Amino acid sequence: MNTPLFPTQEIGSLQKPSLEALGDWEQRIHFLSRLSQVPPDVLRHPDVATLQNLRAAFGIAFLESAGLDRVYDGEARRVEMYEYAARQMTGLQFQGHVRSWDSKYYRKGTAVDRINLIAPYHLDEFDFVRAHTHAGVKLPITGPYTLADWSYNEYYLARQSGWKGRPQRRAAQRELVLDMAQRVLRPTLQALVAHGCRVIQIDEPAAGTHPDEAPLVVEGFNEATQGLDAEFSMHICYSRYQDLLPALLEAKACRQWAWEFANRDADHHDGYEVLKLLREYSDTRSIGLGVLDVHRDTMETPELVAERIQRAAKYLGDPARIWVNPDCGLRTRTLDVAYAKLQAMVAGAALARRELEGNNS
Amino acid sequence: MTASLPALHAGLTSPFPRSERLVTATRDLDRGRTSPELVEKAFVEAENELLALEERSFTDLTAGYLRWNDLFRPIAETWSGFTVGPLTRWLETNTFFRQPVLSAPPRRTPLGIASRLPPPLAARSANARVFLPGPYTFTKILENRSGASDLEVLGSMGQLLAEEVHELSGLGYGLFQFSDPILVTDPPEGKAAEGTVEAYRAIATANPRATTVVWTYGAAVGPSLPLLDRLPVSVVGLDLTETEPESIRPGPHALGLGLGIIDPRTTLPETLRDTVDIVRQALRRRPSASLWLGPSAPLDLLPARPAEQKLLRLADVRAVLLREGLA
Repeated sequence: MNTPLFPTQEIGSLQKPSLEALGDWEQRIHFLSRLSQVPPDVLRHPDVATLQNLRAAFGIAFLESAGLDRVYDGEARRVEMYEYAARQMTGLQFQGHVRSWDSKYYRKGTAVDRINLIAPYHLDEFDFVRAHTHAGVKLPITGPYTLADWSYNEYYLARQSGWKGRPQRRAAQRELVLDMAQRVLRPTLQALVAHGCRVIQIDEPAAGTHPDEAPLVVEGFNEATQGLDAEFSMHICYSRYQDLLPALLEAKACRQWAWEFANRDADHHDGYEVLKLLREYSDTRSIGLGVLDVHRDTMETPELVAERIQRAAKYLGDPARIWVNPDCGLRTRTLDVAYAKLQAMVAGAALARRELEGNNS
Repeated sequence: MTASLPALHAGLTSPFPRSERLVTATRDLDRGRTSPELVEKAFVEAENELLALEERSFTDLTAGYLRWNDLFRPIAETWSGFTVGPLTRWLETNTFFRQPVLSAPPRRTPLGIASRLPPPLAARSANARVFLPGPYTFTKILENRSGASDLEVLGSMGQLLAEEVHELSGLGYGLFQFSDPILVTDPPEGKAAEGTVEAYRAIATANPRATTVVWTYGAAVGPSLPLLDRLPVSVVGLDLTETEPESIRPGPHALGLGLGIIDPRTTLPETLRDTVDIVRQALRRRPSASLWLGPSAPLDLLPARPAEQKLLRLADVRAVLLREGLA
């Protein structure tokens, strides 16, 4: 794929539209035209499978029409990034909801037995996206460390004898991460690559949770991706990246760091300064540069996006390594806000491109 | 030890998770599918159920603080000078809090915190445990745009929390727990350490009759113990699931010893014998006039059902220690 300077990409999930919202959006982005054999009243009473296809087609069209160079389907078929994956394996059992914040909850599984994959997953959704987009495709998949960290560990911990202090918990956690990598992620990634999936984002948002376990994040990543022929990136958000370096740099197959920066970029704090560290470590991988704060409705202007890109380019010393994306998935924003933010992002990338080309001419 | 057995307390040290019923109710309220009255009814029922368990098994009552969104929100929403800011990760967990943003000198609002305490505690204030953020942790997590230095904000927090404790004492509350995990996860040094001691001194000086607990968790306590021993509080709580018992050094005998022994980071129930043994080991290394047992970190890191099982295990540990003795 021929990509311009500062290409743009999606990074995660979108809000799932209601039928009514799908109807409204059809007027704006005409996503139904991507589907074959659409009955006239499909938006009235679709069955579950049809609704999933509608939402996936919508997600693809939404991202494409906002102008992104690399898209997916807004993770339209996944209940959320942990639970969807957790339900593809045996050995995990759900025991109830845990609060993430306020009245937002998620289900967290307990490893009650050794983890085993039921069957490789995300293949159907990848096939659907590939068949319904004109843009590049990047598939996001939850990484082994996050799957382990967001699970309770009973089976592996119970095998440790005596009081379950820190050393015992760490040993049990390593076993769980490696089983997730070797027994779940690796066979799934192998199948995806065999299906023709070439760009894969390994989501490891839990990596920032325990900075001292960064080597384990990397060990899991390497176990899952070793020898596979694909362009892998690692998405980590809401973390102090300096605490994860240089350990992260040992992720051998990782070709891009997709990180969040806009959330912490403010008048009194330069959210992008941490990129200087990569230059200091002589790391030359590309950067998925978060330029949209996904937790606020406040709209970034194209000028602000362009300024963030230029600042990051200065810190990295190489503008050609920058891909532009939101900090994280836009699922917590309304679709209207998400769309406007993405349009501002695309316009900002174009502005930064023009500014750079102007400076170089 | 046998000559003067320590008093033995046990109870919750943090909010309890919401029951599945409350999860559904609060979600439905967010989505406009239920009424505030029905959600209130669900809260009252859940609080009463938990109170009944606490009254059967423990010394202190909390009613679970089920309505609190996070430890800092009651202050951020009721004290002037603060606004509620962006979602921020809470320590090494997958839970988030709204970061308080301080943009003017902070001021208490009379009865601000009191109005946020679990309603059933008002009639049981003598046995209630009031949760408050520790001054150091609060100062570390807020975004300070006030123009004052962080050290000055720490001093203000000590003064304001002292006033808060004073006001709540007047309402009959006597036991105040300051959750101050950053004292061990990112220990203060130099002026910040002295500022922390001064903040707690302000609380103690203004409230000589209050029982004050500083509860830490999330990291081994070893390097922080010298500072914790200097704090003018009644009890110092430490995370025994993060701390090797061998690293616990003796402290002032009058200073109560709090031990976090129930681990909310796993659903695996603690084995009774191992837990009783680890408590005894810790107490041998650090004899104390009073022993306070609780979860090592916020129990709301678990779903409600395993959390309740863990709480019952805490009750079992207390029962064994009462029956067999602490030595």
